[in-house]
Amino acid sequence: MSSQTMTADLSGFRNKAFFAGVAGTVACMAGALSNSDQFWRSYLLAFIYWLMIPVTCGGLLMLHHLVGGQWGVVLRRQLEAGTRALPFNLILAIPIALNLPKLYEWANHEHTAHDKILQQKAFWLNPEFFLIRLGIYFLIWLTLRYLLNNWSYDQEAGGGETAKDKLRNVSGPGLVLHVLTVSFASFDLGMSLEPHWMSSIYGFLYIVGGALTTMAFNILVLARLSEEEPMSHHVRPNHFADLGTLMFAFTVLWAYASMSQYLIIWSGNLPEETPFYVKRFHGPWLTMATFLMVFHFALPFFLLLMRFNKRKKAIITKIASFMMFMRLVDLMWYIAPAFHEVEEAGHHWPHWMDFAAPVAVGGLWVGVYVWQLGKRSLEPVEVHRLAGGHH
Amino acid sequence: MTEQYHSATAPVLAPGHNNKSVTEKIAGVVLTQKTPKGWFIVFAITFMVMHAMVFSLGSLVVRGIGLWGINQPVGWGLDIINFVWWIGIGHAGTLISAILLLLRQQWRMSISRFAEAMTIFAVMCAGLYPVFHTGRPWLAYWLLPYPNTMALWPQPRSPLVWDVFAVSTYMTVSIVFWYVGLIPDLGTMRDRAKTMFGKKMYGFFSLGWRGSARHWHVYETASLLLAGLSTPLVVSVHSVVSFDFAAGIIPGWHTTVFPPYFVAGAVFAGFAMVLTLGIPIRKLYGLEDYITDKHLDNMAKVMLTTGLVVVYGYFLEVFFAFYSANEYEIAMAHNRFSGPYSAMYWALILCNFIVPQLLWIHSFRRNTTVLFIVSMFINVGMWLERFVIIPMSLHRDFLPSSWGFYMPTIFDWGAFIGSIGFFTFMMFLFIRGLPMISIFEVRTLIKKPAQGGGH
Repeated sequence: MSSQTMTADLSGFRNKAFFAGVAGTVACMAGALSNSDQFWRSYLLAFIYWLMIPVTCGGLLMLHHLVGGQWGVVLRRQLEAGTRALPFNLILAIPIALNLPKLYEWANHEHTAHDKILQQKAFWLNPEFFLIRLGIYFLIWLTLRYLLNNWSYDQEAGGGETAKDKLRNVSGPGLVLHVLTVSFASFDLGMSLEPHWMSSIYGFLYIVGGALTTMAFNILVLARLSEEEPMSHHVRPNHFADLGTLMFAFTVLWAYASMSQYLIIWSGNLPEETPFYVKRFHGPWLTMATFLMVFHFALPFFLLLMRFNKRKKAIITKIASFMMFMRLVDLMWYIAPAFHEVEEAGHHWPHWMDFAAPVAVGGLWVGVYVWQLGKRSLEPVEVHRLAGGHH
Repeated sequence: MTEQYHSATAPVLAPGHNNKSVTEKIAGVVLTQKTPKGWFIVFAITFMVMHAMVFSLGSLVVRGIGLWGINQPVGWGLDIINFVWWIGIGHAGTLISAILLLLRQQWRMSISRFAEAMTIFAVMCAGLYPVFHTGRPWLAYWLLPYPNTMALWPQPRSPLVWDVFAVSTYMTVSIVFWYVGLIPDLGTMRDRAKTMFGKKMYGFFSLGWRGSARHWHVYETASLLLAGLSTPLVVSVHSVVSFDFAAGIIPGWHTTVFPPYFVAGAVFAGFAMVLTLGIPIRKLYGLEDYITDKHLDNMAKVMLTTGLVVVYGYFLEVFFAFYSANEYEIAMAHNRFSGPYSAMYWALILCNFIVPQLLWIHSFRRNTTVLFIVSMFINVGMWLERFVIIPMSLHRDFLPSSWGFYMPTIFDWGAFIGSIGFFTFMMFLFIRGLPMISIFEVRTLIKKPAQGGGH
């Protein structure tokens, strides 16, 4: 079947995203002129937020190749398109690579000269090795992206079982690599902002959080695609219910991991660990922490428990949009206070660029994503697995 | 249940069965078939082994807890290792019966009953250790918060108190879930029992089950609700167990990844034990049609996945020891690699990391010999993991002047080996008296001729 007939017209969607991206970019450029330090901080937040989506698209795709399930059959094209947007994230990483001393204490020689612990940590936290690691993560993600898309193309072109086996075989080791790379990327990009602090569940939080953001994002895209051919034929309320259930599971896992981290650090009460929470339990960050408990966990927990909410497209898309926002709030709560000292963190509010930068990067990223989505047919690859919803 | 839409690939029930053959085969194991000699042999051996525990714990009550090898600085030894090990083993049952039920996984049906029984007996074994570790088990009720004239309350900030609630809830829910799941089969057993005693017993416990539409409706609702209740327990129980350690500040204990890492380890250990017992029993009773290659394959995959999560935990422990630049954390890592107990650490890496990688190979996942050997390695490995975490972290903490060495005594080993005997003894008692595979659930797996569609 020709791909022309099977793609939806998403140009309006793409243009809107680009417009938002450009508007956000202009705003951030203006902000950068007046406060360049803040610009880089907000940019890092936006970069991490939008990096997790394409990377996790790859992770969910591999999960689907391993365990199957209808949710993956309907999402497969979207997930593949998500991974194909990754080169754009690589471009977005370049400004960060060029500005490490602005963001990371340990990359700042003046700072490390007076800090004995950072000197001891320099074997890991040094600019050269950091960039090599970042390069390795991207190399792994891009290789998996290439294989997953290429073999999927083969499968579609009639490669059938062989291509399917290849996809399945790469997905096992690929998922192992996914977990390791996302964990270490999170330690490098996020955790090392407070280089004295550490938490071994941090990577798990990013994996689960990333899965939640990505699932919410994909629900929104699927809702849009299901309005037109060809997906309007295939998508049923039960698919949204399944995706909602996955979103529910990730929400609960996020709460579980966040709670565990807090409880363990609180119980230990060690001077190298508690500053993380002391900082975030003052001023606006405390309000935000409460907000996260209620709106990143309690509310979605109850809403997603009810099957009715998950089946109704109008409702599930609202929940998904809200969760995308809450994911940003969560990441902001982790990243933004990291740049302030413990005593003064409570006096700093989230900056307007913390919201504008994700819109800027996100708009452009979604534009690239939609462009990639339009390049391949939208007809599900294993459409027979959807027939009638029965086996 | 409403719509079931899953892809049926390899069969979870061998072809050619009908309602009658399924019922006769499974009920027959208990009712009509001659009990195999192997059963009597295992039953007799495990009954004797069990008495190692009876003797060890009996001596402990009479002579005091000094019989165990624990002392300063290692206050938690084999007792807590065994507690965590047994609790972990129980997790396969809950995962299979609760989470896989909610995920509508059909392959769960023929192994759930067996695994749930394992859960109950494993939790029984687990519960013994903390109770005897108190030194005065007759005062164990002090662990519960009840109004008393001494005005003593358990410390609510202590994870040990949370354990009391977590484990007792776990035990209660597991028993109720298992029993509710048994009711329809108890009805079948009552109808098929030949002896008066059997008729009376199965009849009493089947609570008047007649299999009417109303009965089934209530049954389905109850099992769905219980599955929902059990699901958080799969995660919460072992997370609370992990807090016992992580809430402390001993290097090797205090790390935030402990909760998910412990949960994965529990499921890993649980599935290994299901295979360790399931493979011989499947052979003994010729149940290959019910516990098929598909089951073995799936269980192997679950073990491989959870095993990799556990290895991720080991890896992070070492990474963060060095990343922390904290001399005590680094010393802990060195102590594991080359300290007095380093052989245990490397044996753990062999058992839980290297050997389970065999499960990547498709044909090994369906080979009972390989699976049995791998599962034995995992059983040992998961025990070693708790040894590495508990005494190995305690014996060398911050001050070298307070370092020590822990050596379990014969009473420690007696209680441990005896509990394995007790567990196996109970499992064999169970398969002799109750249908070890859910008859009515397996009946739903029978493919109706000339009817390809849904249920």
